[in-house]
This record gives sequence, C-alpha cells and structure tokens, in this order.
Amino acid sequence: MYFTTLRSRADMKNSDGQLYTIEGFAAALIMLITAYLVMNATSVYTAGDTHISDMQLEALGTDALNVMDTNESLQSTSPLTDIIDTTPVGTDNATFGAIFRNLINNRTALGPDHIHYTANYSYRDTTPPGDTVNSVFLNASRNLSGGEHAVRVTKWVVVNKQLPGDSVVPAQNRAVLVEVLMWRD
Amino acid sequence: MARLNDDAQWIVLMGFLVSFSFFFLAMVINQSTVVGQTTAESVIEFPKNDIRDVRGVIISSADCPSAVCPIPNFDVVKNDIRVISMNRKNAVIDYTYPQLIDNHTVIKIHYNNGVTEFNENWTAL
Repeated sequence: MYFTTLRSRADMKNSDGQLYTIEGFAAALIMLITAYLVMNATSVYTAGDTHISDMQLEALGTDALNVMDTNESLQSTSPLTDIIDTTPVGTDNATFGAIFRNLINNRTALGPDHIHYTANYSYRDTTPPGDTVNSVFLNASRNLSGGEHAVRVTKWVVVNKQLPGDSVVPAQNRAVLVEVLMWRD
Repeated sequence: MARLNDDAQWIVLMGFLVSFSFFFLAMVINQSTVVGQTTAESVIEFPKNDIRDVRGVIISSADCPSAVCPIPNFDVVKNDIRVISMNRKNAVIDYTYPQLIDNHTVIKIHYNNGVTEFNENWTAL
C-alpha cells in the first residue's frame, strides 16, 4: 500500500512562533517573580525594627552606670555606692538623677538629648525564710506609662548598708543590682 | 498570522538578561534589612555587659584586702549575687572562695543564662 496523504499531528511541525513562545515564558516568569517580591515586601522595616537604636541606648546606659560606679581614689567610694549607701531603702534620691541625667543627655553643641529613665535596685531580703528579692525605687525622670520602648541596663554594686532583714551590726557588705530602664522620648 | 519577524533577537535576549539581573539585585536589597535586624538582635542577646559586670563585682568583692573590706562576709555577698541574678537576670552564677595556688590567687567563676555559658579561672599574683 502506498499512502500519499498519511499525515498525523506530529507531522504538522511548524517552526514559526518560537520566539513568541520564549517571550511568553519570560513574561510569565517576570510576573511571577514580581508577585513574589511584592508579597515579600508587605512588612516594612523601619530604623527602630533593626534595634540599632536599642544597642546605642544600652551602650550609653551601661557606660553611664560604669562612670557613676568609679571611685575617684582608693580611699573613697563611687558616687553610685554613696547614693545607695546613704539613701533610706525605697526613697527617692535626686543626686542619682542629677548625675545620671547629665551623663546620658549631654551632647556637644546641640543642647540636651531627650532620654528618660527610671531607676530601681534589687536586694536580697534575708528575713526568714529568707532569699526573697525586692526591688525598690531609686529615682526617675518620668513615670513609666507602659507604652515606652525601653531598654534595661544593670550594674552590680557592693554597698555597706543595713538592708531590710539584716540585723548584723555594724552594717556589712551587700551586693545589690541597680536596674535602669531607659527610653528616648 | 503575520510572518514571524526574527530580526533583533540578540537585542531581545540582552533585554531579558538585563531585566533578570535587575530582579536578582532587587532580591539582594530586599534581604539586606532583614540581615541587619538579625545581626543586631544577636548582638543584643549576647550578655557581654552582664558577664563583664558580674565578673567585675565578683573579683573586686572576693579578692579584697582585709584592710579595705573589714568584715569578711564572702558568703553573704555571694548569696546576694547568686539569688538576685537568678531572680532578676535569669542567670546561674557561682564562684569559689579565692584559693592560693602556687602563690597565685585563683577564683573560679561560672555564668550561664541558658543561652550563653561562661567559665573562667581568674588568676592574680
């Protein structure tokens, strides 16, 4: 048998339109990638989200507390130790505010910065059964309302002080933890 | 259907290449803010200041000449540091009484806040 007209679909090969096909695939890819990028860009990162300012604030506060806990001579105690030594437990101390506010807010030529803080310190209460930790107020530049984005800096201080629950006379050395919350207003 | 015009195929191909490279650059820029954020977060999480601070207070309070620290109350201060750091800083801290080994004062310091652990044999002549 001799078929002159036997043709299937595969024989109808036509090489026209190859570039159109490639172009179509490319356009589809571009649209898909664009959609992917747009979906990924829904969260907008601001400078605060990257925590750089938090790191700066923490470094500043740690440095300020370190400066305050440096004694001027071997015979004297540091200003921070003096403040906690002499202030009755739980009462406000304006000297802390005067030193700390200057240390964190002083700038060159631009006028003071707007950093606020609230300072506490924690001590161990040895009243039986003992070993409870109390935090008491030290000083604040503004009351904490709860909406601030604050960072916490801490400093260990050894004081010679009669803390609640302590009956040793004369007063013995005790370690307390000064905790300061700082935020920029 | 109009006759396929296959002129300028190189120009079209180069156009695709350039546009794809733009997309990849956009992706890289898209990731850069996230990279900055995670780096800063891990820097904040690492308790550098905590370790330096607690190490400093341990050394200065434990290795204290008797003339400056008249009352030997090593255990009281150690319990203060131990209990307060557990309560307020979520960190386990332990250290030994200064021992005299080969004419050196040695204090073993241990710090662990669950993420970062720090051990030190502090030595001084």
